Parts: sequence; C-alpha cells; structure tokens
Amino acid sequence: MTGEVLFKAALAVYLACVVVYGASLWGRRVLPAKIATGLMALALVIHSLSLAFRWFFQGGSPVIGLHDTLSFFAWVMAAAYLLFQIKTKTRVLGAFVSPVIGLMMVVASVELGDAVRAPEMLQGTLVTLHVMLSVTGEALFALASCAGLMYLIQDRLLRRKKPGGLSRLFPSLQDLDRINHLCLFWGFPLLTVGGLIGSIWAGIVWGSHWQWDPKQVWTLLAWAFYGFLLHQRLAIGWRGRTAARWSLAALAVLVVLMIVGTRFFPTLHQFV
Amino acid sequence: MRLVLIGMNHKTAPLEIRERLQLSCGEDLAPSAELIRLPEIREALCLSTCNRVEVLARVADGEQAVAKLREFVFRQGNLGIAEMERCLYAHRDRDAIRHFFRVASSLDSLVMGEPQILGQVKEAYRTAVDHRTTGVLLNRMVHHAFRTAKRVRTETAIAANAVSVGYAAVELAKKIFGNLEEKAILLLGAGEMSELAARHLLRQGVGRIFVSNRTARRAEEMAAAFQGVAVPFDRFTGVLPEVDIVITATGAPGYVLTVEMVAEALRRRRNRLLFLIDIAVPRDIDPAAGEIDNVYLYNIDHLQEVVDANREGRRAEAMRAEAIVEEEVAAFEAWFNALKVVPTIVSLRERLEGIMQGELERSASWIQGLDAEERERIGGLAASIVNKILHDPITVLKEESRERDELPYVAAVRRLFRL
Repeated sequence: MTGEVLFKAALAVYLACVVVYGASLWGRRVLPAKIATGLMALALVIHSLSLAFRWFFQGGSPVIGLHDTLSFFAWVMAAAYLLFQIKTKTRVLGAFVSPVIGLMMVVASVELGDAVRAPEMLQGTLVTLHVMLSVTGEALFALASCAGLMYLIQDRLLRRKKPGGLSRLFPSLQDLDRINHLCLFWGFPLLTVGGLIGSIWAGIVWGSHWQWDPKQVWTLLAWAFYGFLLHQRLAIGWRGRTAARWSLAALAVLVVLMIVGTRFFPTLHQFV
Repeated sequence: MRLVLIGMNHKTAPLEIRERLQLSCGEDLAPSAELIRLPEIREALCLSTCNRVEVLARVADGEQAVAKLREFVFRQGNLGIAEMERCLYAHRDRDAIRHFFRVASSLDSLVMGEPQILGQVKEAYRTAVDHRTTGVLLNRMVHHAFRTAKRVRTETAIAANAVSVGYAAVELAKKIFGNLEEKAILLLGAGEMSELAARHLLRQGVGRIFVSNRTARRAEEMAAAFQGVAVPFDRFTGVLPEVDIVITATGAPGYVLTVEMVAEALRRRRNRLLFLIDIAVPRDIDPAAGEIDNVYLYNIDHLQEVVDANREGRRAEAMRAEAIVEEEVAAFEAWFNALKVVPTIVSLRERLEGIMQGELERSASWIQGLDAEERERIGGLAASIVNKILHDPITVLKEESRERDELPYVAAVRRLFRL
C-alpha cells in the first residue's frame, strides 16, 4: 500500500518535472530548468523509496512484471541523468529526458498492482540480474538518444547561424556528445553481460542457450547495431552529428523491434 | 526636503564637455565633500564615469538649492553657462529616483546591460561614505538602487547576450565546446580584430595559442604578448590538427584555408569539433569548409548578425527591466514620501503635548492638593486624550503620503495648528 502511494507520488513529481522543463524551453529561461532538476531529484528519492518498498516489504520479483520493468527503466534514466547533471551543467537535457521517464511511469502506473509472483521458472537471482542489467543498458541507450536529439537541434541552430535563445539554453555540443558517448560506453557492456546471463540461465532451465525466441533475435540485432556504433566511435572517431544520428536510429530500431517482436510473435519473454 | 539629481550623460553632452567635468571630478578631493559644505545641501553623492557625470543630493526646500547645485557644476566644468545649460538635466524627487535606479541597472548606459556601471556606482557610494556626505535618505536610496539592479540582472536577460563581435565569438565557442580550458587557438593573420577576439577567448581560459602571420616578426611579437607560439606562415597547416578554434584575419585576396586543408585536419584530429572564425574581408576560409560535419564556420557577417539579434533581444528585455525599475521606484517613493510628512507629524505632536503640559501647569496649584495616585491618573488622562486626538490625523497624513504627490492635508494641518 505504502509502495503504491509512493509510486504515485513519484509519478506526480515526474510529471510536474515534464511541465516545468517544458516551461523552461517555452520561456527560454534557465530558472525553471533548475527548479525542474530539483524536482527530478525529489522524484528520484520518492521513486527509490517506492521501489525499495515493493521489493523488500511486499516481496516478489523486482523486475519481472511490466510495471516493475518500466518503473525500473525510468528510475535508471532519472538517476543517470542526475549523475550527468552533477558533472556537466546540462539542465535543459531534462526537457528531453523527463517526457520519456514520464511516459514510462504512466504506462507503468496502468499496470500497477500487487507485486508479481513470477512463475517457478522465472525465479532466481540470474533472471533478476539478467533483466536489471539489460534494462539499465537500454535506459542508458535511451538517454544517449535524448542527448543525440538535442545535439542535432543545437548543431542545426549553430549551422544556420541563428544561435538565439534556444541555443543559449541548450548545453554545448561537446557536453552532449560526451553524454552520448558515456551512455553508449556503459550501456553496451551492461546489455552484453545482461544478455549473456540470460543465455546462461536459459541454458540451465531449457537446456539450450538460444531458443530463437523473437525477442532474443531482435535484441541481438539491436545489440549488434549498438556494437557497430560503439566500434565506429572508438576506432574511427565517429563523433558529433554522425554519432547522434546513429544513436537515434539505433534506438528506433530497438523500440520498433521490441514492439513488433513481442506483439506479433509468440515469445518466452512475455511479461507476466 | 527634496531630492535632486543633476548631470549629463552620453546622450546629452558631447565628449569634450563630459571630459572637462570629469577631470575636476576625478581629483582626489571628492566634490561631494565640497558640496556638503553648502548650507542648502544636506546629503550628496557624485558619480563620474566616461559616459556620465551626475550629482545626487538631498537639498533644502526651494529652487535656490537647485540653483546652487547648478552653479557648483558649472564652476567645476569651467565652462560657459549657455554651453553647459544645453547639456545638463535636472530631475527632482520621483524622476531623480527613477533616473538613479535606471543608471544603476544599466538601462541608461551606452551599451545597455553592460555590467561595469554598477561597480562604478558602488565606487562612487564608497567615496561618498568615506567623506561622510551621505545620510539616511541617500544611504537607503543607494541600497535600494543596488537591489533594483540585482533584480534586473537576475530576472531579465538584459546582460545575457554578447553585443560585440569578440564576445559573440566567445559565446559561440562556449556553445560548441562548453568549457574552453584546454582548448587551443590558432590566429592566422595578426590584426586588431583578431587580437581582440583572441584576448576575449584567452580571458575565458583558453589554454594555448598559436600565431601565424605573413610577416614573421609581427607573429612573434603577438605570440610573445599572448605567451603563445609563433608558427611560420607556410607551415600553419601543421598545427591545424592540434587547435580547436581558428581565427583568420589575413589580407590575402584568396582563400588561405581551403576545404582540403580543413578536411585533412579534421581527419587527423579524429573528427573532434573545430570552430572556424573568419573575420577577414575578403574571406580567408572557403565557405564550403563550413559544410563539413563537426566544423562550424562563422564569418564576419554571421557574427555581426548574431550581435544585431542580441541587441534586439536586449531591447526587448529592457522593457521588462523598466517595469521592474518602476516597481522599485514606487516602493522607494512610498518610503521617501512618508519621510516628507514626518516633520509635520513631529511638530503636530509637539504642539499638542505643549498644550497639554501648559494646561497641567496652569492647574498645578489644585493638582498639588491631590494625593500621588490621583495626580498620576490626571496626567495619564490628559496624555491619553492627546494621543486619541492625534491618532486619526497621523494615520491620514501617512496614508496621504503614500497615495499622492501633493500633500494638501500637510498644508492644512500646518495652518490649522499654526505649526
């Protein structure tokens, strides 16, 4: 019960964040963004408490249900964003990050219910680890794409020689590129390890590491896509505009494949 | 009691005249100290910058004090009266408050929103305080002006955007790189403009600077001045991969920096961002270089456009700033006007208390016959009647001071009670 109230409170504060960040963009002022960042930190604290409640006091698997997965996804994004905030003053990035978080939380709230008891087969530390690592990786990719989108807008403003109010509000290209880079750099290994753990566990339960499950296939494709992008970045020096575009494209691939893959094909990865 | 501000600024007086006044103001002897010796001047503050010379003073009632102030300024400027009269403005009370607040908020500056003026006002105030030429009114007014200036700076974006080409370049560099420390610049061609832009960038913490010029000696001189490295002109492409910002200002008729050079440099610096600033006419950098990914090319016209847009933006912000100033002027004026009725209130109270004391003394003979407690009660009764009578008139006087400029009730009270 308390967990549910906390979750709803966090949702409300996240949505307030979206509005205040929006006001910052709309009015071309930094002050609302500063306030919104504070709100985001508050929301994160409440959200953390709600997650803790759900996991420790209500019992049940932390990240098996759709609600828990999305909620955890939003939590990682908010936490990572605020961490970057400490390093670089990229306040307005929140205007792009908070709607994604808000969306995740809204969808999660629809599915809000009692903590899910996973079926026998899906219990165990390995599953939890598999989901948590993969979701963290994906949340970081989403953050990379937010930074990428912002990079493309800032790049366009500077190229059109119109660095007016919006450009002034936006973070510098180099900061955005660095966030994009860091998210890829950390997200990719997390997704990799998450996938490997999943496959080990699959080996234990089903006796085979690979089931040709649609979600496995699509995730592997997206994983390869991101791997390629990271490689190009580290080896060839893909930066800036190119990197931003590709990270947006990669996220689009990931999202589309996820939806198509889980909607139209039977999958073992069905949320319970 | 009145508040008067007289002076001249860049809008009303040509430089020659401001110069003359300024010289005399700049001497060690503070003019405010001299002013305060005049009997009509109660408090004084002198502000003298390259764009304005102003005297703010609290003076005795009547036009004579203003005339004295004028005379003082004329004498300081050592100029003909006709000449000075044309340039001088005099503001009283509310206008003086508004003018002073606008000056402190940099709304009256040549470059609106420039930050120096507030420091200059603070300096002027410090001098005045050192010479003890300010009192209750000016102290409070100056602090209110500081508060107004702070509000204008934080609540509007009046000082937010660069309004010079050099600053515009710095701002753009920050939009691209964020932090300019550990960045390197290359100056191609050592001109006045490029030097200015480089100076702005260095002040922002740019780490290293390379200078290259067709005449090597000039390059060496400038490199020495900036503690940078001179690079022979035929070999500047060698340092291109190392630098993040290039400023070109050569007199060359054709392109000095070609697309191929930029592309090659970018390849060698693994696509790290490159900011090219071309302030030469005719242009030094092939415009096609600006099409390359991760290269940002601005020429002199682009920078000028940025500056013009920013100036426009400042004008819009100035409207908001004026509203803030009006608000603060009203707040200060309320206090200032309340100050005006204070003497009347004081003398009214003295008058009634005088009557009370007189009457008590007249009846002293029979009051003496009473015992101590009764004597005290009679005294208390009289005092309480006086206070009850005073209460409403005082309230009305204070309200009046807040609500209007002329004070008919003050005049009425003064006549009715022969104050």
